[in-house]
Amino acid sequence: MPNQALAEQGTVMNPLIPVVGKIIKIVEETPDVKTFHVTTENGKPFTPLPGQLAMVSMLPIGEAMFSITSQGENHLEFAIKKVGMLTEALHEAAVGQQIGIRGPYGNGFPIEICKGKDLLFIGGGIGLAPVRSLINYCIANRQDFGKLHVIYGARSPQDLCFKDDLFENWPKVMDMQVDVTVDKGDENWSGNVGFVPAFLEQINPSPEGKVAITCGPPIMIKFVLQSLAKMGYTPEQIITTLEMRMKCGIGKCGRCNIGSCYVCLDGPVFTLAQLNQMPNEY
Amino acid sequence: MLGVKKNNLNNFLEKISSGYQLFVPAEVEGTTRFTAYQAGVQLALERNTVVPPKELFFPQTEHMYCYKAHKQEAAVEEIAAACEPRVLFGARPCDVQSLAVLDDVFLTKGYEDLFYKNKRENTLVIALGCRKPEPTCFCSSLGVDPSGTELADVMAWDAGEALVFEAKSDKGKKFLEENSAQLEDLAGVTQPTAECTMVLQVEGLTAKLQKMFEHSLWNEICKKCLNCGTCTYLCPTCHCFDIQGKTRGESGVKFRCWDSCMYQEYTLMAGGHNPRPSKKERVRQRFLHKLQYIPERYGKWGCVGCGRCVVKCPVNVDITRIIKQIGEVSLDA
Repeated sequence: MPNQALAEQGTVMNPLIPVVGKIIKIVEETPDVKTFHVTTENGKPFTPLPGQLAMVSMLPIGEAMFSITSQGENHLEFAIKKVGMLTEALHEAAVGQQIGIRGPYGNGFPIEICKGKDLLFIGGGIGLAPVRSLINYCIANRQDFGKLHVIYGARSPQDLCFKDDLFENWPKVMDMQVDVTVDKGDENWSGNVGFVPAFLEQINPSPEGKVAITCGPPIMIKFVLQSLAKMGYTPEQIITTLEMRMKCGIGKCGRCNIGSCYVCLDGPVFTLAQLNQMPNEY
Repeated sequence: MLGVKKNNLNNFLEKISSGYQLFVPAEVEGTTRFTAYQAGVQLALERNTVVPPKELFFPQTEHMYCYKAHKQEAAVEEIAAACEPRVLFGARPCDVQSLAVLDDVFLTKGYEDLFYKNKRENTLVIALGCRKPEPTCFCSSLGVDPSGTELADVMAWDAGEALVFEAKSDKGKKFLEENSAQLEDLAGVTQPTAECTMVLQVEGLTAKLQKMFEHSLWNEICKKCLNCGTCTYLCPTCHCFDIQGKTRGESGVKFRCWDSCMYQEYTLMAGGHNPRPSKKERVRQRFLHKLQYIPERYGKWGCVGCGRCVVKCPVNVDITRIIKQIGEVSLDA
């Protein structure tokens, strides 16, 4: 069946061509991260699985792949850090701006592996964005999962993303724990100061019955993986998401491969056990 | 066998071109490539073309959609991927095999590339068997028979004074029937056969490469590569593309164009990270893609042994030599 998955999820039949969407809300998360709420004239552009991706474009500037951090009844949310030409243009945009959007792409988080287990989410900086889609999914389907535990860090208190979730929404959820750290505090910060891997080891959550989901800067992931191994987590219990430069989003244009896997299509979510089988090129 | 005498070939092609858009191998501006048939075209049937036929299915640049951007408003209009019925005449068995690789890439794994699909489905392929493979040809080692292929719609052979034809698909059978008035029964004419003179050992190559990602061989191989991308542009299976736009005023067009894993920008991310920062990673990617990744993903070689990259590389990076070098590596050490 041609592009059946796309058709079922309600998007256009030619997967390389965007539909026009509109920014309906902008949340300033940090000095360089904003969350954009996007809809189309037909409502939500499509219904992604937690962890899936979409191509967002500002015409005529360019197009790039972003994780979908959350979704509502009629919109998708993208938390986007200002790092290049496209993201700078997005940061300058105001509510009402029309953009291009196509997707959803990628595999999403393996819900079946997570069901019935306690989940440990470890995020750093903007790396909380993809993980948040799963956290929100777990909260919406609370009875399907065990305890939820978020360990999150950023460079400074003002660089913490999703502060409403971290300090208001998530701590109120049943059986949900949120621990936040910053690399460097300020005069108002009374929480933990230190890097995420050290904070993780200090909290020392037991691997028993648990799946760990981590995303953040490469250097954080590297040390988080070492810490998790030290704490007894097996590669099958650890899930992470990767990013690569992408153009097509459907495994044709070539550039996001790691070995014979395409991150846009076979990823971006992999278990550490899967990554261990792949060439070390990311 | 049914065939056409060579002194009648132009009439035959002329006739086909009245019903189809016909592409033939020809001399064009100092090189050879597939071009639309027209009176006076200089056919190039002796040797394979310098430029492979992939550009007929996957053009070097291809418009995808138009857009308009005015203040906060944006509009997108798809450019239809329509294609007239076409005939590709004279593709060699290696290049027909390359279409099988491109089919796997563009038409499988959950998504169909509609731009490619439209052209592919509307094109009847007449393959031409090789009489005398070049010294740089090695398709036989990669499972291709230079004499003929079962993957074309019609197989043609150069039997000296005539070209003879055999249908290989229902579409090909119908085509030969349609054009039977142009074909004569050439008694006593048989299909010639051919073999590559170069023979490479490729058994176990993919499995060996799976253990060679970190091998020092790549440091050696990459040294003289210029990262110029010639190999990827002339490769009949290279399919990587970029998506770019050109804007005039408030409107523009988005197109895709060939890209190359040889270029640094190919994998460079907006934040500055590049998973393939140096020549070593890029050269390794190209050869592993052909010899390990495509075999793992699609169950066939990503190289069809046409030898174009061997001939045209300005510094003589030679995939046949690299295959031999890989064969000589001892992994126990």
